[in-house]
Amino acid sequence: MKKSSILGIIVIAVAIAVIISTYSTSSTYGSFTDAKKSTEELHIVGHLNKGKELYYEPTKDANYFSFYMLDNKGEECKVVFTGTKPQDFERSEQIVLTGQMRGKEFHASKILMKCPSKYTQDKLETTEFKSKQASL
Amino acid sequence: MTKVFEGEHLLPGQLGQLFIILSFGSALLSAISYFFAANQKDQLDQSWYKLGRLSFFINSFSVVSIGACLFYIIYNHLFEYHYAWAHSSRTLPVYYIISSFWEGQEGSFWLWTFWQAVLGNILIWKAKTWEKPVMAVVSLSQVLLSSMLIGVEILGSRIGSSPFILLREAIEAPIFNRPDYLQYIKDGNGLNPTLQNYWMTIHPPTLFLGFASMIVPFAYAIAGLWQRRYKEWVSAAIPYALFAVMILGTGIIMGSFWAYESLNFGGFWNWDPVENASLIPWLVLIAAVHVLIVFKNTGHAYFTATFLTLISFVLVLYASFLTRSGILGETSVHAFTDLGMFWHLVIDILVFLVLMVGLLVWRWKELPISQKEEETYSREFWMFVGSAFLALSCLQLVVVTSVPVWNAMFKTNIAPPANPITLYNIFQGGFAVVIAIFLGFTQFLKYKKTDAIRFFITTLVYMFVAALITGVVVYVTGLYKLRVVFMLAMFGAIYGVLANAKVLGDALKGKLKLAGSAVAHIGFALLLVGALIAAGTSKVVSQNDTGVIRVKDFEKAGNPRENIMLYKNEPVKMGDYQVIYFGDSLVAPNHYFKVDYKRFDESGKVKEHFVLMPNSQANPKFGLVSSPDTKHYLLHDLYTHITAAPIKEEESMAAGATEASHDHASEDSHYNPPVVYEASVGDTIRFREGYMVFSGLNKQPKLQNIPLKDNDVAVGAMLNIVSHGKAYKAEPVFMIKDGNSFDFARKVDDAGLKLRLSKIIPDKNKFEIMVYQQPESAKPYIVMRAIEFPYINFFWSGTIIMVIGFLMSIFRRNKELKVVPVKATAQPLKKKPALVK
Repeated sequence: MKKSSILGIIVIAVAIAVIISTYSTSSTYGSFTDAKKSTEELHIVGHLNKGKELYYEPTKDANYFSFYMLDNKGEECKVVFTGTKPQDFERSEQIVLTGQMRGKEFHASKILMKCPSKYTQDKLETTEFKSKQASL
Repeated sequence: MTKVFEGEHLLPGQLGQLFIILSFGSALLSAISYFFAANQKDQLDQSWYKLGRLSFFINSFSVVSIGACLFYIIYNHLFEYHYAWAHSSRTLPVYYIISSFWEGQEGSFWLWTFWQAVLGNILIWKAKTWEKPVMAVVSLSQVLLSSMLIGVEILGSRIGSSPFILLREAIEAPIFNRPDYLQYIKDGNGLNPTLQNYWMTIHPPTLFLGFASMIVPFAYAIAGLWQRRYKEWVSAAIPYALFAVMILGTGIIMGSFWAYESLNFGGFWNWDPVENASLIPWLVLIAAVHVLIVFKNTGHAYFTATFLTLISFVLVLYASFLTRSGILGETSVHAFTDLGMFWHLVIDILVFLVLMVGLLVWRWKELPISQKEEETYSREFWMFVGSAFLALSCLQLVVVTSVPVWNAMFKTNIAPPANPITLYNIFQGGFAVVIAIFLGFTQFLKYKKTDAIRFFITTLVYMFVAALITGVVVYVTGLYKLRVVFMLAMFGAIYGVLANAKVLGDALKGKLKLAGSAVAHIGFALLLVGALIAAGTSKVVSQNDTGVIRVKDFEKAGNPRENIMLYKNEPVKMGDYQVIYFGDSLVAPNHYFKVDYKRFDESGKVKEHFVLMPNSQANPKFGLVSSPDTKHYLLHDLYTHITAAPIKEEESMAAGATEASHDHASEDSHYNPPVVYEASVGDTIRFREGYMVFSGLNKQPKLQNIPLKDNDVAVGAMLNIVSHGKAYKAEPVFMIKDGNSFDFARKVDDAGLKLRLSKIIPDKNKFEIMVYQQPESAKPYIVMRAIEFPYINFFWSGTIIMVIGFLMSIFRRNKELKVVPVKATAQPLKKKPALVK
């Protein structure tokens, strides 16, 4: 076999590996019900229950923030985020959480929130908060 | 029906709009004229050619004029224009007005057309026989770019988005029915505070020059196919391709440096889709440059060279589609929002993709694809393989970044990976291993054929030395705690540095022209070294595990607590440092928090002492925006930023200060119930956070605006307060005036105290002092995160070295172009049903 054919096969193999791995590591969008069944991390889209308490008391614990979120199916769950309360969280219109259930609480490792832009009308601004510094 | 509005300046906008149409029209004319000029057989007829040139000059002039009009509007705060209103404000200093110029999509498109016009003029001046076909392609790109700015409705849909749209046209509101509406629009929205940084003035122009210059190698490749000058274009395109790689690389790293220095991502690279979008074309063009050099030297790999050069520009357009169409949606925090140009951007990609594929298919049978196999022990073969891996690393970036695109295309609902950064790091780390090792050992190979035994000896000797050094580096930096792939990448990078250092050493002895690539490779390898150590062993210094029971190897379950809380003036131990939040400084609109750092040696002496001032802006429009402050050392950085602070309340308090101070009851609610002491002069009173000494009485205390008569008495109690090692003085006053008693409390905010001298008890010779203390929670505090980035300077200095290397290579390739006209290669030119090449 020619060298270029061997190389071609390697390249195609790596390309397929990339695509498969992307597909297998990709997460899913789900609801709190899905989260309760699964041990995997998943994404949940929903919005803040503004009627319930937002708890962040930096004087007691600067790394504990909790709130109640309703997912798109209307199910409510308490969410815990190990970090500070994102600024303007009360104003958020949509929240995307990444995380998993731990007992009856959903532990979010990442919060992405959309706020009505103060800057351009009828547009939403997205901001992201991670509880953990990224590392290799 | 036309309504007259007062105070509007319509002329600059109309003029600007006129120039937009003119730039579009002239670009179109130029593209058509150059197309016919290039296809013309009759060399004497210069009319198309002259028309092409003339219209390109008109285009350049219009583009500059658009810029001038827009700048005039922003500079003179003409808020009747949406762009000025949305992106600037009266308080912005001039250098940020320049930034607000390209904050919006329209401004950044303008920047792109501007650079493309500049490059077009350089090509007209320099390209000689290539001018006609190359300029036809550049003008075509200019047509599509300027169409993005038109903003005119055609057949019910708006084409492009003009920066000269009036505010009343852009936004519907009842206020715009008033002829005098402008009186109510006093100021613009202002520039996003995260962009108010000097990097914002230079990062976008550099990045867009990089993007714009990628049209040049593309245009040469197209011209080569079109004019059947299959080989000549390569030598001419190499210097331009190197230039594009150099500028785009600089622009990308500038963005990374900006993010690191003044944004609160907590790092220098985040694999955000917007970052990836600029990295993708860069990697492909680097691969293309290498294969172009292979072809130039050996005649091999023609198809791959052409294909990579062509696709790199299509990927630039794809990148701009990703960031500008709004498709990334919630996967990126800093993509532009949709301006209704989704399909316009898609068409832009398709035009160039069709041009590329069409020409390749049309000329397929004539392509000079070499029949012969490359030698295994030849430089060209391994350069080629290395480039293939560069392209693969890019493919991984494209596939993962485009998840929202796949969702849109196949109507699926896949979420991006839960932890994309880890995924990217592992994959790109793996590619980096291969690429770094290749850029090392190919240096020991010669073009065409190399003596295998000698090659293996040198390669293995260098590998052995590199392995030893890697062992030391991995041990010292703690890299061994990470995945194996990152250690291998470190080995590759060190090997790359060593091998290229040898080439550089040889080059300095005589073959100086080879130095450029060696320097660029060393720079790239050092960049890898820096990135690996800094990202891999960065340590959150502010991690505090108080109240958390840690279970070994169980970190996954408990999120680490990375934020530390600092009460004002209370020292806290953070890693090796003792930190104190001791003060604030307000330079509107920024609120700087002064944090004092001390490090002690074993005997308790202060080894190091410095102050960092991370800042936050409680911006009424943008919320709390924090910027980090970093202490730079030669071998590591200490990066700190504020994650929470009660700064909003503070501002509203300041605003209502006059009212609140009169209202005793509400003010006292900020304090715990007072403790009453009966004290004599000389007594010491203790409180939660220190003590105070009642040092004496002041019989003539200063009281503003209260004249004392003969019968009136006023006494001040001189109190020397010590709290957390700091001394303060306060003097509460007791007064009897016209038979009534008053007292004037004094506050010591930094110590969280309020003191009153409420009564004098003459028979005991004692004084009643009331001590109000703020509850713990009402005291000023900040929540902060601090991260240590070791050896990050390798990353920055590697970049600079790499850019220098590119620059040297550009000069070398440019010189070759002048000395050796065009070297015909001696390869057989028969076509080959190639798989990859």
